[in-house]
Amino acid sequence: MNLTYYRLELRRIRRDPVTLFFAAGLPAFFYVIFGASPDYGDDPVRDGNVAMWVMIAMAAYGAVTATTSIGGSAALERMQGWGRQLGLTPLPDHGFVRVKAATALTIAAIPIGLIYAIGAASGARAPWPVWVVSAAVLLVGATTFALYGIIVGMAFRSEAAVGAAGGSLVILSFLGNIFIPLGGWQLTVARFTPLYGYVALARRALTGGATLEPNSNRLIPEPLWQPLLNVTVWTVVFATLAVVLVRRGRSRQ
Amino acid sequence: MDGCIRVRGLTKVYERGAGVAPAVDGIDLDVAPGEIVALLGPNGAGKTTTIDMILGFVAPTSGQVTVFGLTPRATVAAGRVSAVLQTGGLLRDLTVGETAELIASTYPSPPPTGAVLAQAGLDGLSGRKVRACSGGEQQRLRFALALLADPDLLLLDEPTAGMDVEGRRIFWAAMAAEATRGRTIVFATHYLQEAEDFAPRTVLLAGGRIVADGPTDEVRRHAAGRTVRARVTPDRIGAVVDRLAARPDVHTATADADRLVIETANSDAVAALLLSELGGRDLEIEAASLETAFLRLTGTGTGTGAGTSADAGRTEPDQIRGLS
Repeated sequence: MNLTYYRLELRRIRRDPVTLFFAAGLPAFFYVIFGASPDYGDDPVRDGNVAMWVMIAMAAYGAVTATTSIGGSAALERMQGWGRQLGLTPLPDHGFVRVKAATALTIAAIPIGLIYAIGAASGARAPWPVWVVSAAVLLVGATTFALYGIIVGMAFRSEAAVGAAGGSLVILSFLGNIFIPLGGWQLTVARFTPLYGYVALARRALTGGATLEPNSNRLIPEPLWQPLLNVTVWTVVFATLAVVLVRRGRSRQ
Repeated sequence: MDGCIRVRGLTKVYERGAGVAPAVDGIDLDVAPGEIVALLGPNGAGKTTTIDMILGFVAPTSGQVTVFGLTPRATVAAGRVSAVLQTGGLLRDLTVGETAELIASTYPSPPPTGAVLAQAGLDGLSGRKVRACSGGEQQRLRFALALLADPDLLLLDEPTAGMDVEGRRIFWAAMAAEATRGRTIVFATHYLQEAEDFAPRTVLLAGGRIVADGPTDEVRRHAAGRTVRARVTPDRIGAVVDRLAARPDVHTATADADRLVIETANSDAVAALLLSELGGRDLEIEAASLETAFLRLTGTGTGTGAGTSADAGRTEPDQIRGLS
């Protein structure tokens, strides 16, 4: 991978505190309010507690906000002529994708690391393998949402649209059982939305494959194939749309 | 001899809605190593599309392009060709120095970025954000980025568009220095002056076709004709027009009632003939401005819009080929 390009990408993000605020600062704040502070935070969830459940959720929200933003800005940059400039160099398309993917993973790691650190210091509790496995699933799964950012960037061709894509993640997080535990028919609907499978898999190490019923705080069992199918279908949908839009963009040149 | 650029039967048709207009319509072009060539033509002549196909950004509808015997993309990947493009293409939140560092990192052994920035006249601007640079400075940065490839062939698409006079002077001084290093340089421009000042050879494009290709001073001499106006009695004017139009040094001869307008490369001979044998009166001779002559040459002089220029371009080549 081109390390110079990667290093400069990280420097660009450091210069733009807005991206990092929405990806790391805001979800960390949410965790403190909704996970660390309330009394229910120490209620048990299997071998862990509710604070841990909220911590994974907020880290998930931060990670996908980061990757969506990087995917979207990468698509915009390429369309606004930077793609032609790079097209004059020996850097191949997959070289560019590698740099952007590494950047997205690095930036997604920031909210995960930050929120996990705050969680560890403020009462989130679970056996150590839960911490490791959930963080790894969060990091890998967030890459799917880089595709979501690319789709919005390619389709709407404006920075405002990419910003709105970040905002849309708030809605998808509510629908995806991230911010508040859903029950009843709301949970049924949630199972079909794009963030549901991602966060369910990340929490699986904690919950042992069950969702938290909000009224009773009881765990309702859920078979593994449900979140897996959700993630697979949405990844295929995003990847297909991204390929179609990139091809359309090429033929328009 | 191993050619630098070799283009054969190159055509590009963009399909836009129902109308299909060839942007490039059957171009043959050979450029030898070390040549400096101007691609001269008005907007819409096909200059940018031709350059995009030489760089491999756009696939030809038909025809072939090879650069140093390779496909365009292979030549770019080998770092043997680079370009200064017309539009966009810079990350506004990077500094000048960072942009150069980034592009340099894509080449296996680039020249030192500091030296290249100095060559492009950007000394002392390394720490400035791209968004704070003037249009001319951004264009010189694109030029510096092209030099980082240390290319054998440099393509420039209207490199001085949007620059002020001083910016142009600095830019062409830097280009002149590059030319002496033996790089092959092909630049697109719609300024006849830039072709004259800088390129020994000029290729004139209009309506997607090459309408003239030869030494710049020949193309210029042809372009720098004069307009002769005179009155002739209406009953004789048809015969006079026919007689003048048959002369090889007359480009066009037209009549409106008793007024005669002749575009010619040899106004002295035409004037003498008119005043002696042909009974001309009220003679006026006017040096055509280079721009006017150029527009006439490229077939846009009589047109009122882009729609007619392509048609006019189609009728021109036969008249002009002989001169080049």
